[in-house]
Amino acid sequence: MPLLEDKVAIVTGAGRGIGRGVAKLMASEGAKVVVCDLGVNVDGSGVDVSVAQQVVNEIGELGGTAVACTESVATMAGGEKIVQTAVDNFGKLDIVVTVAGILRDRMVFNMTEEEWDDVIAVHLKGTFTVVKHASILFRQQRSGRIITFSSTSGLYGNSGQANYGAAKDGIAGFTRVCARDLGRYGVTANAISPSASTRMTTSVPDEARALRSARGIAAGGGLRGDAEDVAPMVTWLASDEAQHVNGHVFHVTGGLVTLLNEPEPVKTIQKDSRWTVDELAGVFPATIGVELYNPAPAPPPSA
Amino acid sequence: MPNNLEGKVAIVTGSGRGVGRGIAKLMAEEGAKVVVVDPGVNVDGTGFDQSIAEVVVGEIRDAGGTAVACTESVATMEGGERIVQAAIDNFGRLDIVVCCAGILRDRMVFNMTEQEWDDVIAVHLKGTFTVVKHACILFRQQRSGRVITFSSQSGLVGNSGQANYGAAKSGIAGLTKVVAKDMGRYGVTANAIAPRASTRMIGAIPESAAEIRARGGVASLSGDGGGDGELQNLDPDGIAPFVAYLASDYASNVNGQTFLVYGNTVSLMSQPRPEKAIWTESGHWEMDELSARARGYLTAGIANPAPAQQR
Repeated sequence: MPLLEDKVAIVTGAGRGIGRGVAKLMASEGAKVVVCDLGVNVDGSGVDVSVAQQVVNEIGELGGTAVACTESVATMAGGEKIVQTAVDNFGKLDIVVTVAGILRDRMVFNMTEEEWDDVIAVHLKGTFTVVKHASILFRQQRSGRIITFSSTSGLYGNSGQANYGAAKDGIAGFTRVCARDLGRYGVTANAISPSASTRMTTSVPDEARALRSARGIAAGGGLRGDAEDVAPMVTWLASDEAQHVNGHVFHVTGGLVTLLNEPEPVKTIQKDSRWTVDELAGVFPATIGVELYNPAPAPPPSA
Repeated sequence: MPNNLEGKVAIVTGSGRGVGRGIAKLMAEEGAKVVVVDPGVNVDGTGFDQSIAEVVVGEIRDAGGTAVACTESVATMEGGERIVQAAIDNFGRLDIVVCCAGILRDRMVFNMTEQEWDDVIAVHLKGTFTVVKHACILFRQQRSGRVITFSSQSGLVGNSGQANYGAAKSGIAGLTKVVAKDMGRYGVTANAIAPRASTRMIGAIPESAAEIRARGGVASLSGDGGGDGELQNLDPDGIAPFVAYLASDYASNVNGQTFLVYGNTVSLMSQPRPEKAIWTESGHWEMDELSARARGYLTAGIANPAPAQQR
């Protein structure tokens, strides 16, 4: 029996890239899929309703079932309509996968309010708007799967992506809370941190990549996988087999799937009364400060 | 009188009360001139009381320190710019920004309103960006500066009933890591604090949220045996010494880290790292193969913070 027989799934950002791969694999595993995509450019501008429909057509040609939805995830009304589309067309909802995202890279000191707001709206609020409305149903039916998209840019930090890094680490935090809010209702919530070469990642200017590496700034992670390679793990997490997997972050690239650790204290200093700055200046470098990694050290002063 | 921050100018947002107040006062004691930023709102973000910041400024001056009050909101770009401008106008420079300002609007995710989401994201996450962005313009030019932000275990680990707060606080950790990379080569550092302390904000967590967590078998915030009750005994002023240390010249190479700070304890938090991995030789998974490896190894025995309950 296919892994997602009789399930109904929403996949946001499913018109291209990773989302498209997820929608198509889920459909081939028996799920009825709502393909959500506004068809915007990588920076969020423009609308092209044919992008979602194209994926629906591809799914149909392979014998699967899907409908297109071009509502925006960035508003509460849009999130509600996306969930309603699943219910109206297929009578229920079992799975939400929130892949929709845009990029507006800029160094933090030059980043505009609009660049900040737009990226936070689509990624972070755009995850909340769909998940909130889905979780109303999930709680009532006492089952459901939430799979969100974080990024190494948020988990490790990637220069030039203050907005994207904030949104993506925010999604990881949001997902951990959803896991705790909804787990007892039989729902699971997990996040994927993908590395794949997609339209979005190739929009990062080559000059920016070269600049980062020339200045010795560590990059967030390699982009070796194909967009389609992320879909199998997402599809498995959406299945009944993954009922026990809740509140975790998985890094997926190519044929590699990695369970990331929970944040935990790794080195601790403690005393029985309040520290002074002078005491910390003595103790910290010899304890916590030993071999502490600096991701972007200042160059030595030029003579 | 210690003087580890002599000659420095610091902005501390949310310093009218709680953790921020302790930081503003200790930094002033260490010789910094401090902009005490607080519009004096209630824990849920409503109201306005400009005397809150003034009281802290008065306390600093009484102790022989130097400070000015600022009641601009961090939630707008203009507010962030005016807060930075207040440091320049009053003290001629800026060396340190500490972003403590925050509000709480707890609600289970399926009941959370747009307003509850937007307000918490605006004050915490955007409110960190608005101040840090404008400070970074100066920091880059002067090739020095300290950015210290406030994350939370609620974001790093997750706490039921706090989808908005957890998203914001985890987002701040991500923002801080990017700022560390954007600014490190200009001699600037950026680090995040995940504090645990008994403050007015923690007191606002509805009893029901703690009860629901306990009744539902949901893991509480503190993984080391504490839980909601333990926060009651943690002095907010315990956070300040480590923040002042990070702001000092001693910590010039500490960058891009997250520290858990409570009581008289300081811990370095782990960076995300692989715990377990599976891979396929071909580079592309077949579902059967992935399913077997995911069940049999990757997720075998995996912890579930909130297992399904019987109806």
